[in-house]
Amino acid sequence: MVDQRRLSPPFTARNVKLLIVFVGYICATVWSWLYIHMSFGGLFGGISDVLNLLARMLPPDFYQLSGIISATIETLWMALLGTTIAVLISFPLSFGAAKNTTPNAFVFALCRGIITLTRAIPDLIFAAIFVRAFGIGPLAGILALGLHSIGMIGKMFADALENADAMPREASESTGASKWQAIFSSILPQATPTMIGTALYRLDINVRASAVLGLVGAGGIGFIIQSALRSLDYPSALAAVSVIFIVILAIEFFSSRVRASILGERSASVVVVRGQSDRAVRRTRKDRTLLVDAVTMRSLVPPMTSDRKSRIISVWVYVIMLAVALGTINMPIFSSFAYFDDAWRIVTQLVPPDFSTARSELITGMSESIAIAFISTTLGLFIAIPLGLLSSRNIVVRKVVFVGTRSMLVVLRGIPELIIAVLFVSAMGLGPVPGTLALTLVTAFFMSKLIADTFEEVDPSPREAIFATGATRIQELFGSVLPQAMPALVSQILYMLDVNLRSSTVLGIVGGGGIGFLLLGSIRVFEFGTTGAVVLSIFVVVYAIELIGSWVRGVLEKAN
Amino acid sequence: MSLNRFNQQADPIVRLSDISKRFPNGTLALDQVNLEIPRGQLLCLIGLSGSGKSTLLRHVNGLHKPTSGSVDVMGMRVSDASNKDLREVRRHVGFVFQQFGLINRATCLENVLSGSLGRLNWPRFGVRSYPKQLRRLAFDHLDRVGLADQAYQRADTLSGGQMQRVAIARSLMQEPQMLLADEPVASLDPESSGQVLELLLKIAKEENMTVICTLHQVELAMGWAHRIVGLRSGKVVLDRSAIGLDQRDVMDVYQRVDVTGAPTSGEDVPTSISNS
Repeated sequence: MVDQRRLSPPFTARNVKLLIVFVGYICATVWSWLYIHMSFGGLFGGISDVLNLLARMLPPDFYQLSGIISATIETLWMALLGTTIAVLISFPLSFGAAKNTTPNAFVFALCRGIITLTRAIPDLIFAAIFVRAFGIGPLAGILALGLHSIGMIGKMFADALENADAMPREASESTGASKWQAIFSSILPQATPTMIGTALYRLDINVRASAVLGLVGAGGIGFIIQSALRSLDYPSALAAVSVIFIVILAIEFFSSRVRASILGERSASVVVVRGQSDRAVRRTRKDRTLLVDAVTMRSLVPPMTSDRKSRIISVWVYVIMLAVALGTINMPIFSSFAYFDDAWRIVTQLVPPDFSTARSELITGMSESIAIAFISTTLGLFIAIPLGLLSSRNIVVRKVVFVGTRSMLVVLRGIPELIIAVLFVSAMGLGPVPGTLALTLVTAFFMSKLIADTFEEVDPSPREAIFATGATRIQELFGSVLPQAMPALVSQILYMLDVNLRSSTVLGIVGGGGIGFLLLGSIRVFEFGTTGAVVLSIFVVVYAIELIGSWVRGVLEKAN
Repeated sequence: MSLNRFNQQADPIVRLSDISKRFPNGTLALDQVNLEIPRGQLLCLIGLSGSGKSTLLRHVNGLHKPTSGSVDVMGMRVSDASNKDLREVRRHVGFVFQQFGLINRATCLENVLSGSLGRLNWPRFGVRSYPKQLRRLAFDHLDRVGLADQAYQRADTLSGGQMQRVAIARSLMQEPQMLLADEPVASLDPESSGQVLELLLKIAKEENMTVICTLHQVELAMGWAHRIVGLRSGKVVLDRSAIGLDQRDVMDVYQRVDVTGAPTSGEDVPTSISNS
């Protein structure tokens, strides 16, 4: 018997695959850096240009305030209507796209296909196309948000259905319930909280998105920002940006409160908990009386507890807002029907895609977009890791530091990425470098939250064990926090790459480099064959990255 | 396609003829099982985990289809019944699960109401979507399991024993001829185990229901069952009246070796079981 103990880890298939992925990622980033002629000198020069521009913007000038406010309201209504359309389409779609509810494999593939397709085409591209079909105005924006949001909402709805516990359904079916009865009364109730949460979250995203749709003429405040920048009226642009920024933060705050009250398991029992506020205690007592009355009187309708009351009020608030939105927004729905054949004509011109007319621009544009995505993901990661560490409560023990960092990040995340890109392009001129810089910042703000959340979820007991060996804080960080967080970190990087690839395809619309420039140009000059080719190329690349991503995640999950 | 017509009064109520079940992963879960269950019998299935008890139970209401052999329940050939016929059978067969199968977020009343879906035509969502008369009935059944006061509480605020009682009330909504119970007390503490099992049996006797129950606890099984069937690796290795059953016979099913070496005395075996 030979005693051969391995002193270095074996080259398992998994490790080799991960090594290839790692090397491939590094190579792609280096290639990207060279391809768009990035340099650190250019980066820092760019930053000082941006600071100069910001200085010229101050102080903001609110002389257009009434215009800004009405555009902001239009932006909000666009987001609301767009999200509503998306939810209405996604709901039936999700039952076809969830493994446990789909009627058959064909419907499943079809629904998943629609969801993937709508997600792959950025809302701004939908908007640019719809502006051509329905004319300048909010309708194009609403439809764009409605179609693009199906990608996320449909997927999350389907996931919510798939994640439902199967036991109640089996129980329901064994009482003789039909398939759809069982789905509606045992799967759906489990999925509804997630569904409502998703819709609210998407509303949040869509408020942000609709703020920039005006850049292509699809209504909302983006139009005001764009024209102010074009006429070099920087203080007025800053006024518009700050108003929408505050509105976005307010909506985000409000929607996260509502989501927390729906999703957060607010104690369902009616027992007064220690430490509740007087108001909460009174409410709990009242709820308990209501419940007791309901059961002693054998009431056949559920009692009007505070939870139920707030649910009903929420529904009414939503209905009223919807009515107001439909009433006030300048959206000639009926006369627009006349344009539907215009829209249809455009759709028919998108296929067959024409790859020959703008072949070289297509290749350069796509390569540039991919390069921007890789660089901004990598640079963003480098900024995000320290920010993420600073905002995790279990790593930075000082409350001031993590609360401060977290709040700063929340505020910074409120700025839509295309607005940042527009500012950077105004400061640094056209080209991929300002676009990359803008995307880098957005990546950093967004990813630091993901990273902080991951760090906070790390199991504390191995950390304690490492500290107990006398390790320093940094040793412990590398010895127990990072190894635990690594799989999540890798999939976050892949996710960011995916997101950035989508974003980088539209940067060109504001002059930030990449394929977006050709895309918008082809729409402007009615070369829809080329538009089709661009959209198809984007779809293929995004889909490819998604496939690679899910493959890598699969490899990561394997034990060895 | 049923060979025979559905007949609620059929006796024996269940007939398993030579059924075998091989799962797609190759496991042979049932191996040529034959079983006839007369109406009104309280039958207890015992055996180790993985011996095929749950699989057998799931064949009775058609949640599983046998690889070979046939299952007849109330005159219906369940093993190759159409979905519609299958629902007809299930409507009259209650099923109680180890993990209760309640919708955690829904109120107890809604959970109980969902037991009546087999009688209703459309999908339902929320208490108010059920007819008033069924809501009244659901209240009565909750009353019967002693939980009417919790009608509008969410199911996940209850204790395990209470949850299982809600699940029992749900199967009562079906007004079943037969009750299948799959380890109904395995997730409960000993005290609520006793209560739940007692409740189940009391109701079964009052309604003259046939009961097929799988149990881990042999002592509990021998306390109430008319008949004990033991499974080992998908085969029936014991099928006897519970009267005069020796604990050693039961232990054979588990192939357990008594470590103390002391022979179990026959006096431990309960004898006061009335066979109908």
